This record gives sequence, C-alpha cells and structure tokens, in this order.
Amino acid sequence: MKGRPLVLTLPRWRFLNLQALLLGIGFLLLVGISAATVFLVERAASDSKQLADTLSVEDKLSDILLTVRRAESSQRGYLLTNDQSYLDDFRDAEPETLDTIAEVRELAGASATRKSTVDRVDALVTGKFREMKRIIELNESGKRSEALRQVREGEGRRIMVELRDAIEEAIDAENDLADVRRQASFRTSNLLLFVSLAGAALIVAVGGLSVLLVQRNYRRAEAARAELASTNANLERIVAYRTEDLTEANEEIQRFAYIVSHDLRSPLVNIMGFTSELEALRQDIFQEVEKLNAELAQVKGEAEARKEDETTRQLGADFDEAIGFIKTSIGNMDRLINAVLKLSREGRRQFHPETVDMDKLVGSLIETVTHRAVELQATMSVGELPPVETDALAAQQIFGNLIDNALKYGRADEKLQIEVRGRLTTTHAIYEVQDNGRGIDRADFQRVFELFRRAGKQDRPGEGIGLAHVRALVRRLGGTMGLTSELGKGSTFTVTLPRRWSVQNRSAA
Amino acid sequence: MNSRMSELPVEIVMIEDDGGHARLIEKNIRRAGVNNPITPFSNGTDAVTYLFGGDGSGLTSKGKPLLVLLDLNLPDMTGVEILGRIKSNEHLKRVPVVVLTTTDDAVEIQRCYDLGCNVYITKPVNYDNFANAIRQLGLFFSVIQVPSPD
Repeated sequence: MKGRPLVLTLPRWRFLNLQALLLGIGFLLLVGISAATVFLVERAASDSKQLADTLSVEDKLSDILLTVRRAESSQRGYLLTNDQSYLDDFRDAEPETLDTIAEVRELAGASATRKSTVDRVDALVTGKFREMKRIIELNESGKRSEALRQVREGEGRRIMVELRDAIEEAIDAENDLADVRRQASFRTSNLLLFVSLAGAALIVAVGGLSVLLVQRNYRRAEAARAELASTNANLERIVAYRTEDLTEANEEIQRFAYIVSHDLRSPLVNIMGFTSELEALRQDIFQEVEKLNAELAQVKGEAEARKEDETTRQLGADFDEAIGFIKTSIGNMDRLINAVLKLSREGRRQFHPETVDMDKLVGSLIETVTHRAVELQATMSVGELPPVETDALAAQQIFGNLIDNALKYGRADEKLQIEVRGRLTTTHAIYEVQDNGRGIDRADFQRVFELFRRAGKQDRPGEGIGLAHVRALVRRLGGTMGLTSELGKGSTFTVTLPRRWSVQNRSAA
Repeated sequence: MNSRMSELPVEIVMIEDDGGHARLIEKNIRRAGVNNPITPFSNGTDAVTYLFGGDGSGLTSKGKPLLVLLDLNLPDMTGVEILGRIKSNEHLKRVPVVVLTTTDDAVEIQRCYDLGCNVYITKPVNYDNFANAIRQLGLFFSVIQVPSPD
C-alpha cells in the first residue's frame, strides 16, 4: 500500500474547473438572453407604438375630411334656406378641425413626409374655410346672387377635391407605412421567440452537460471510494491476519518454552537422583575397600597398606571430582531451565494496569536492599518520580532488577553511588537508574539484554536473565529500554513507559 | 498403611512412565519405612486394564484396598483421563489418588481437584527436594487410612 497515489485528487480538480466553466457559460448565456430579450421587447413596443400612431394619423385625417364636409354641408344648408341655425355645425367645425390638425402635426413628429402632408392639408383646410366664410359673409350682406355665383364657380369644390385627394394619398402612404411597421413588428416577435427558444435550448444543453459531468464524476468518486473501502477492508484483514499469526506464534513459543522446560526437568531429576544414589554407593564401596585395606595391612604389612590407602584416597578424590562436576552442571542446567520456565510464565501473565505511585514503589525497593547498600558503603538517592499507569508488579520487577544490577556491579576503587530519577513528556514517563559502577562496553550494549548472555568480568553470580526479563517486560508494557554506559565510569538504564495504559500494549501476549 | 476393616495391606498402584522416576520414588518410599506392595505401570493402557479389568467395569478391583500414585504426563493418555475414570467408577471412586507430576500449572491443579484427586504434589526438580518430598509422602502413606473396600 505504501507509496500509492491518492486517486481522488486529480479528477476532483478537473471536475471543479469544468464545473466552474460550465457555470460561467450558463451565466453568460442567461445575461445574453436577457439583454436580447430586453432589447427586442423594447423594439416591439416601439413598433407597436408607431403602428398605433399610424392608425391614429389615418383616423384623424379621415376625421378632418369628415369635419370639413360637415362644415360644407352646413354652409350649403344655410345658403339654401337662409336659416342661421344651419351654421351651428359650421362654426363648431373650424376649431375642431384645427385641433385635429394640431394633433396630427404632433403625431407627425420628425417625419418629413407627414409634415408636408399636414402642411398641405392645413393650407387646404384654411383655404376652404376662408372660401366658405367669404360666401357666408356675402350672403349675410344681402349679396345672395353673388354668393351663389361663387359657389357655382366651383372654387370650393376644387379645394375639396384637392383636400380629399391629399388625405386619401396620405392615408394610402400611412397604410403602406403600417404594412412595413407590421412586418417589422412580426420580425421582431419572431426574433424574440427565436432568441428565447435558442437561449432556453442552450441552457438546457449546458445544464445537461453539467449533470452528465457531475454524474460521471460521482461515478468515478464512487468507484474510487469503493476501491479505497475495499483496500481498507483488505488492509484490516491483512493486519488482523498477521496479528493472529503473531499471537499464535507467540503463544506457540510460550507453550514450547513451558513444555521444554517441563520435559527437561524429568530427566534432570533422574540424573540428579541417580547421582545421589551413586554417591551413596561410593560410601558403601569405599567402606568395603577400607575394610579390605585393613585386612591387607595385617597380611602384607603397614608400608604396603599405606600405599594402598594412598591409591584408594586418590580414587576417591577422582570419584568426588567427577561427581562434583556432574552436580555443578546439573545445578547450572536446573537454574537455566528454571529461568526459561520463569520467563515463559511471566510472558503469559495478564497485566493489571493501575496508577502506580513510583515514589512509593522505588522507595520500598530501596528499603529491601538497604542492608546490602550499607555493606557496600553505597549511597542511594531517589529523585521525584512521576506516577504512571501500568502494571505494578511488572514495574516492581523492572526497577528491582535494575537497582539490583547497579548494586551488583560496582567498582573496587570507588564507592558506589546510585541515583534513580524520573521526568514526564506529554505521552511518556521516563525513568533513569544511574550508577558509577564498572560500566558496560559499547560492543556489549545489545548483548546484555539477551537471554543467558552476560558481559564483562564474570565474577558475580547470575544466569544472564535479569536484563532480558526487564526488556521483555518493558516491551510488553508498551515502553522502550535504553542504555548509555562507559566502561569504568558507570551506566544509565533508561525506561520509557507510556503515561496512559493502552489496549495495544501486549497485555495478553 | 492398612485398611481399617480388612487385614489386607494396601496396594500402591504407581502409574509413572519414567522408569528412573519410578525407581527413585520406590526407593524413597521404602526408605520411609513403607513396605506395602507397589505395582508399577509405565503406561496408561496397562494401568487402566489392571484397575478396571478387561471389561472396564472396575469389578476386578472390588474389595481390594488400593492407593493410586498417578503421573499426568503419560505416553498413551493423560493422567487426568485416568483420574476422571477412577473417580467416576462405582468401585474405585473412594480409592485415594495422589497426583505426582512435574506440571505446576494452576489450571491443571484445579482441574485435578475438581475431578476428585485427593493430593496433588509437584515433583521438585532438585533431587534432594524430590527425595525429601517422596520420603515425606512415604511417611504420610504410613499414617493415612484408606477406606474399606465394600
């Protein structure tokens, strides 16, 4: 698993970039569509206003023609009947017409064609009204025949025809214009519809693409996640499997050590037992030999007998030496087997974590060795030791062994000084047992922790078990063991233990 | 060592696979002044046949005052198995069983007492202690009462 790249990083980056890009495109499209729509709606509004204007202009022009006709018929009615009441319509018509003309002029705006049309209509209407007023005035002043003559002359009718033509022409022009406007309006509407539809389609496309992208990335992420999960599960399985393997192997070794040490004891008992039997036999045999020697002395004389005695003593000494070696070897073997048995038993012991008052623990250990310390004239000092959560019995064995070793391996030329001190880090408690004893050669730093191995001058009893046991215990407590030493100057053993007990400590071993 | 009611001397059945051990045990018991007959067996099968008979009913041992000296590590079966059979047999259940073995495993000791073993002794590794222990066992044998056979 080591060094495998994180599969998720790269696609996620790309994914985010593309997402942002698509979002940007979508936003720009929306802005574009909105602007186009606003513009087109504006144009449609102006189109329809212009169309309305056109219609209004047409309407008003027709109105003007109608009003002028009404005025003309009102004038004719007066001329026929001489009745003044016929002139009411005529009098209303002139201002009404002028108002309408003003309105049309206003609608015409900047259009030159319309302006000229209005000017022409204005002139014709003014001319018409002047003509009609003149005839009415003539009739009022009693010149009725002159008035009728002027009517017959047809100037009024001519103006009227001209006015009708002008207005019809203008209406036609406006109609044409309306057609153009209508077409423009239609085009604008179409364009608006097109833009809207195209925009909508584009947004749908972008959205769809985005959804696809998200889906694809989701699938990828999902696949990566699944792979990761399966890898994790696999890893856990491997770890569990290995742990089980190790635990099994460890148990096997413990069982093996136990069985071996047990089964080795049986023959040892026999060897020792029959060695004792041999010793007993020796007593019997040599007693017999002495008896025979005594008898020999009577037969062969004192000198010969002394020689035989000498031989017998020599034989006895040889016998004792042989038996002595056998017994010593058996004793050694017995101690070794006991050591293996003890270690295997320790290895199987369950730890019971508790908060251990190290001051008290080390204090009582020092107390038990006070007698020896006084004999050796050794000074022992204990600094303040922080408490630690661990197995009390194991801690006792660890520090008991270290203090015992410090006392055991002093120097002849220097009074022994032993110091125990402790300190805390955030996670660990560190204890040091320092002495000014004979020290350990750097080459032997590893060796002293090995089972049945010892270093330096072999002038002290021991099987080479203590430190091996200490290191095994410290490891099982989840800690580490350190050593600094200089030959002839002294040694410092450092025990680092976790401050808090953790299940991972190999308490079950 | 006698049985109270009968005048028959108690027979010591010694089941011990190690011949040397068997010999040393016998010697040291004798040194303690115990003269009861000792029947040694070096494997479980022969001992079981002797105790329970060919049919395995235990009738052969009916009426015989016995004491069993049992090693737990046997080549063909475990001493625990033999102990279990003795203590669950109608005719043999009152026979005192002394387990004499190298094993000092607490669980094993507990199991033997649970099955009804009467004495559990761990063989000392040191021969002097071993000899001493066996001699004391011999002294013990000379004073204990074995229940009368039915």
